[in-house]
Amino acid sequence: MALSPPKSRADATVRVDLPRSALTGVAPTHHRRRLGARDGLSRVAARMRFQPLTVFWLIIVAILILPIALFLSVAFSPRLLDQGSEWFTLSAFSTALTGQLLSGLLNSLIIGISTALLSAAIGFSLAWVVLRTDAPGRRIWTGVVFALLLTPSYLIALGWERLLEPNGVLSILGYDASWARHIFYGPIGIIVVLTVKGIPFAYLAISSAMRGLGHEFEDAVRVHGGGPLSSIVVVISLLGPAVWSALAIVFAESVSDFGVAATLANDAHFSVATYTLYNAVEAFPVNFPVASAVSWTLMILVVLALLVQGRALRGRSFRVLGGRSRPVLRHQLSIRGKIITSMCLGLLLIFALGVPAFGAVSASLIDGFGSLAGTHQWNLANYTRVIGSPQLSGPLIYSAQLAGITATVTVVLAAVCARLLATKGATISGRILDFVLIAAVALPGIVFAAGYIFAYNLPQTNSLGIHLYGTTTLLLLAYLATALPSTSRVLLGSMSQIQDSMGQASRVHGRGAIRSWLSIVLPVIARPLLAAWLLTYTATLLELPVSQLLAPPGSQPISVGITNALGKYDFGGGTAMEVLAILSALLVVGLGYLLFRLCAPRGWQHIGRAQ
Amino acid sequence: MTLRSRVITIGGIAVAVTLLAGCSATATAAQSTSASGCVEPLVLYAAEGYDANMGTAFTAKTGIPVQVVDDSTGPLLTKIAAEKNNPQWSMLWADGDTAFASLDQQGQLLDYAPNAQWDTVGKALLPSDNSYAPTGTTVMAALIYNSAATSTVPTSYNDLLGAAYAGKVGMNDPAQSGPTYPFIAGLMNQLGGQTGGVAAGEDYLTKLKANGLQVFPTNGDTLHALETGQIDYGLIQSSAATGETIKVQPTAGYAPKIVYLPKSTLLPSVIGIDKGADATQQAEAKQFVDYALSPEGQQVMQGADTSGDSLFWPVVNGVTALSQLPAFPADYQRIDPVFWGPQQSDVVTWFDTNIK
Repeated sequence: MALSPPKSRADATVRVDLPRSALTGVAPTHHRRRLGARDGLSRVAARMRFQPLTVFWLIIVAILILPIALFLSVAFSPRLLDQGSEWFTLSAFSTALTGQLLSGLLNSLIIGISTALLSAAIGFSLAWVVLRTDAPGRRIWTGVVFALLLTPSYLIALGWERLLEPNGVLSILGYDASWARHIFYGPIGIIVVLTVKGIPFAYLAISSAMRGLGHEFEDAVRVHGGGPLSSIVVVISLLGPAVWSALAIVFAESVSDFGVAATLANDAHFSVATYTLYNAVEAFPVNFPVASAVSWTLMILVVLALLVQGRALRGRSFRVLGGRSRPVLRHQLSIRGKIITSMCLGLLLIFALGVPAFGAVSASLIDGFGSLAGTHQWNLANYTRVIGSPQLSGPLIYSAQLAGITATVTVVLAAVCARLLATKGATISGRILDFVLIAAVALPGIVFAAGYIFAYNLPQTNSLGIHLYGTTTLLLLAYLATALPSTSRVLLGSMSQIQDSMGQASRVHGRGAIRSWLSIVLPVIARPLLAAWLLTYTATLLELPVSQLLAPPGSQPISVGITNALGKYDFGGGTAMEVLAILSALLVVGLGYLLFRLCAPRGWQHIGRAQ
Repeated sequence: MTLRSRVITIGGIAVAVTLLAGCSATATAAQSTSASGCVEPLVLYAAEGYDANMGTAFTAKTGIPVQVVDDSTGPLLTKIAAEKNNPQWSMLWADGDTAFASLDQQGQLLDYAPNAQWDTVGKALLPSDNSYAPTGTTVMAALIYNSAATSTVPTSYNDLLGAAYAGKVGMNDPAQSGPTYPFIAGLMNQLGGQTGGVAAGEDYLTKLKANGLQVFPTNGDTLHALETGQIDYGLIQSSAATGETIKVQPTAGYAPKIVYLPKSTLLPSVIGIDKGADATQQAEAKQFVDYALSPEGQQVMQGADTSGDSLFWPVVNGVTALSQLPAFPADYQRIDPVFWGPQQSDVVTWFDTNIK
């Protein structure tokens, strides 16, 4: 937005005092000549401006690009990291690129697209109902979304299995579930479980942006004769960055999945792209070059996703949040509308949270539920056993501390990433950042963590006295790298909406950059920042693959403890630990929103609130 | 400085503060290590239910600190492979000797003959170059069956191909269950031998599949299928099967019992020392191995996880197995890990394609 020429002496004074580079990026030459000695300072300042960006990129290189690049390099040069004898070879590709991998890639692509579309559609609908209608029960959904985020996919799969298996609960109740079993134990089941896991992210990304969208656009549609459907279409297109964020992350998460597909489609002969990768990593000797070659093919899927995203968003502006944004009016649903909405929300609640909750109950609260063994009695034995156990308290506190630190640092970095990604007109650096962030998600956690070992366990760095591997610091950095893509994407929708004119107006009226940011930008993104912090905290608390490979000796994150308990057939104890960890995280979520309500200035809380 | 630059600066500072905090913690840890003189902490990568107890007991006895990385065998081996150019572990302790044979072939294990009185099984399991040591053994597979649902009990693997067992037998998926590949390799070794290769074993498994074999991900899943009546017979690891008989109170509908079909394949718990560790750690690790094979150490192992990994048969004289364990199977075999280890990836892929 161009500034108007000064109309008075006072206006001109304001212009001179302003750091012009902040407004235009280039100081006019006549101005520099007049200022004389300040000319040099301006140039120094211009150089200084470059440095923070360099620092930012150094961090991105250290925590994302270097580990990913080193892991991908192993496919070509196994000798580089002592994973083979050849400095350059393509043999890993010839081993990896089999018919099975190619069909797996196609299956992964189908699953990725399906889950991304379904998650985004459900996430959008949920955000619309919660934020834009007076549907009953809408207030519980923020809590439900975080509960979903915390629910491990194994509990979702376990719940479905306990219901549908031969002699399972539905069978005991006299219902023949064999037809449902045949449908669910395959690609459809995988899509259902991964969609449920994708909904929270889609909801958080889209709802944060939806709060920043005033009602004036819907009014405009109605003025021009459009109906409710047209309004929704306009809203979806205006929320483009947030919707595409949801699509991209859920897609990347889905193509990197292995556990859900391996469990649910165990005997369905439905292979995904990651099958070959895990087969190479899980067998011994571990074949990292083949895993790396498969990772290259996953990168192709990421590039495809980014090309589609770039085509959809290219050349459009989404800066809808300005000083004139109008408060949103909540749609008053009819009785029929309320009933239908409530039924849909109820079904979603049962499918998304009820089934895993049932899985948790059957595993941890009822002795031998659904089986021929055990007393089938309710009891809290598993909970009383683990509550007093040092296997729960120490690891839970350790993981909670790491999750808190990770969330705090991630939110700051993610805000920077989101601002860079939201910059209008895709720069090369923005594209690289976008690619790296999505690639980090599309790579399965276990190879991402292996990349960290490659990068930070080099003998050369050790000889310099740098010993990062095996420390909590490296675990924190890896958590940060794992969380950054999702958190950046949650903030991207909101960041894309902020009109620069608000900040410029503040600066024109004499406020410094920091005060302008605090008074203009922070109120607008305070709630999305809180959502991003809580998202990162909850996702990090139970993170598994990175924790398994990078936790320092002698310190055990809670997720590793839970997995070990489950691996040793202690389903009751492991699930009880899981449930308690989830409850502790939900307590933090509740506390976060309570503190926001109590401590945040009233104006911050009004952003996006419907009337 | 623009607003964007300032935001970026703040982000950089935040990360730098975190790094500094972490580095200072690391430095503190390093200082405390060096301050303790010639004693260095041992880093034990382990996937045994008794590993943490053993670390504590060893430290109490010797004063040598042990940092245990307790995880499943898969992630531990992935860590070791990724650390290959700069190993950070002192010892690895896990079930199955195929991975150890492979590590030995790659020159990663220190040869050490422990100060132990091996029994017959122990001697059979000991590698000729002493590159690793068994500390106990389980077998694969135990056939656990629901005696409340069936009175037909097989006496050989061939029996399982009969009509009486159609659709009633389950086993684990070797792609997801660590102990299951040694079982399949054992079948192939028994039926075809190293000269005959995998063909006879593949033929047997194909027939078993034709007779309705069901495949579940891991021991726990196969046990669950047995508990819910999906199968009447499960082929799982002996310690998991014995643990089930200990944990479950027999009822009219479910009463698990175990038989061992000839031949049972030995699946030892194995410990090895990192050849790349420094001399101090190697000396300490040798002490640890000796301790694990002493009656005192074996007692700690047997008391730590009494319904899980403690259910092993000792391989040294003078130590008796826990009373819940049945007599050691008379007809057993040890498969050559050097021969069968490298075939794991091919066999697992074949199984997933043709049997699962």
